[in-house]
Amino acid sequence: MTEQVAPARVDRDALRRQISDKYRDVALDPRAGFHFHTGRPLALMLGYDATEVDALPPSTVESFAGTGNPLSLGRLRPGETVVDIGCGAGFDTLLAARQVGPAGRVLAFDMTEAMLEKARLGAEALGLKNVELRTGYAEDMPVASGVADVVISNGVINLTPDKTAVMREVARVLRPGGRFQIGDIIVQTPVPQDAKDDIDLWSG
Amino acid sequence: MLEQAGFREITWGARVDVFSGSAHESDAKDFGTLGITIGGRKPTPRE
Repeated sequence: MTEQVAPARVDRDALRRQISDKYRDVALDPRAGFHFHTGRPLALMLGYDATEVDALPPSTVESFAGTGNPLSLGRLRPGETVVDIGCGAGFDTLLAARQVGPAGRVLAFDMTEAMLEKARLGAEALGLKNVELRTGYAEDMPVASGVADVVISNGVINLTPDKTAVMREVARVLRPGGRFQIGDIIVQTPVPQDAKDDIDLWSG
Repeated sequence: MLEQAGFREITWGARVDVFSGSAHESDAKDFGTLGITIGGRKPTPRE
């Protein structure tokens, strides 16, 4: 992420629909089998603490589809405000909510309603009152400027065509001195422009 | 990109092959795709 990244030439709305359809399937039928791992095995592969994973609602864990472990970069502090970009079924959201405690809060958003519903049910199951769930997009976050102590995200930014716009939004919602902790993907071989522009390759 | 957005103290965490062995492996493996964790900090006005 040290060079200028040109936005992919894809229809943003069509891409959003295709990706949202894919992740609706991950929410509703997580055992269907995808081009990525899901659930508890993936969480353990990424280094999450098994005890903390097993303390989450099974319906949350089964639809986990991250690509890294944002919380491995540093434990969140009690009282902090966290923004979770593309929270999915709420796996990192709920872990974050527990770490920041009742004096903190997690503002989490996603574009896929089926995922948000699972996140909502997960927060209720754990009795967490410090989770606020919203519908929204990474390039236009439904969050006021300067409110976040920490921005987290997991496997989401690679699914947006304009990564620079997303990181501008991360900078906007963070308070000065705030930090981001993001799980995502890198490629070791350059992706040709025609592949970047092929909408079918974005969601597998 | 991160530096251009003004972030400081960029930190890279573990890299994990998160796609190999999944139920439906995709073109991701053709590009050597790895899961990563990355962090950084927004500077204060005094910096």
